[in-house]
Amino acid sequence: MIDEDIMKKVSAGNVKMLAILFERHHVKMYNYFLRLTADAGLSEDLTQDVFFRVLKYRDSFRHESKFTTWMYQIGRNLFFDHLKKSKRETPLEETWGNEIADTGGQPDAHTQDEQDIRFLHRALDRLTPSQKEVLVLSRFQGMKYREISQLLGCSLSTVKVQVHRAVKNLRKSYVELRGGVA
Amino acid sequence: MKNDCQTIQNQFADYLTGDLDTGAVEQIRDHTAACASCNRELEELTATWIQLGILPEEQPGSNLRKNFYAMLDTYQEGMDTNTGYSGKLFEKFNFKKLGEWAESLWPRRPVYQFALALVFLFTGLTAGIFFQSQTSPGQEQQLAALNQENKDMRQQLTLSLLNQPSASQRLKGLQQTSFLDDPDGEILETLFNTLNSDANVNVRLSAVDALYLFTGQPGVKEGLLASLQKQTSPLVQVALIDLMVEIREKRAVQSLKKLLENKKVNPEVKKRAQTSIEKLL
Repeated sequence: MIDEDIMKKVSAGNVKMLAILFERHHVKMYNYFLRLTADAGLSEDLTQDVFFRVLKYRDSFRHESKFTTWMYQIGRNLFFDHLKKSKRETPLEETWGNEIADTGGQPDAHTQDEQDIRFLHRALDRLTPSQKEVLVLSRFQGMKYREISQLLGCSLSTVKVQVHRAVKNLRKSYVELRGGVA
Repeated sequence: MKNDCQTIQNQFADYLTGDLDTGAVEQIRDHTAACASCNRELEELTATWIQLGILPEEQPGSNLRKNFYAMLDTYQEGMDTNTGYSGKLFEKFNFKKLGEWAESLWPRRPVYQFALALVFLFTGLTAGIFFQSQTSPGQEQQLAALNQENKDMRQQLTLSLLNQPSASQRLKGLQQTSFLDDPDGEILETLFNTLNSDANVNVRLSAVDALYLFTGQPGVKEGLLASLQKQTSPLVQVALIDLMVEIREKRAVQSLKKLLENKKVNPEVKKRAQTSIEKLL
């Protein structure tokens, strides 16, 4: 059953069916917040809040639109609400710098992978918020550019330009962090 | 930048996601073969895009799921009792504290826990008897429709869990199958796929347990017999052998004899197969 049909049933009062949508989407939603905030606890809270709002505002879902677009819209609103309330800057460099990635490979390769992951996270953090968000949505959430443009309320060409710039700037930062080595 | 370079570079974002048609891709390749600057740009963008694939997808903590289901249950109860609970009172609770609040209502001493459980049982039975006597044919139809919808929902949820990338979620899906009275073909097919090809041996073992409940369904015993020949994990082989004995499936004798003849089979599995043949005959 597709998301929109399930949401139709939730809107009609069969709220238990929201569990299916939760199981399908909560990990991706969590990772969306995590990549933007680098805060696991906060990302869990925001994810919970998303599904609570999906439930609370289930009557406002327009069934001709895509469920994931609506869900991410709720997510974005929650994220920006959080930003307004929070004055603390997320210490992303310190957070990602402490991550250990268990690849199970050779010791040297293990260290290299770990370093690459750390550098990529730090490079992501150096992007502007809008570039970071379009990159996260397209590269990690698997969202098509058209859907991103609807979500962000901008033109398709703007999204594509942002993605292009984001990847270019990410690479520049990544190379700098690796000491000039690509 | 030349106009044609700009035109080509405007398509790089689509190139990265693989959303260009063959003609457009060829156009880009023709251009980059002749333009070093665009070629370098595209190579670097592509390399970075691919490199991003090493960033792992993180799993949230178990509290997220626990709190979600607690929230959903509370919301459903609120709707059922129609007290308006689902609306405003609900917003007063921090989700993290919802579980603690529910736990605080449950008595600590076992004797009181038992007493409370008896109260719930009695209340439920009484309500059930009362409402049963009150239902009209129209209401019975509605109940049947609701039950069917509930069943469909459970099946969808189970399928969704069984297809998750995380082994713990697939295990949860297998647990869910025990709540299904009459799983459809799609559920059974997914269970057999899980039994025969899941990468995680614990998941395959749980699939054996899950299928045990449905051995009365057409095709399930045959599927289990076929699986016995396919399995290579000694743990799963033994679990299947024990299942065959439990359900008294004499057709398994032939399969078990084949296991005895197979040099690759673990000696402990062969021992179990031998004793099981004796039990079945």
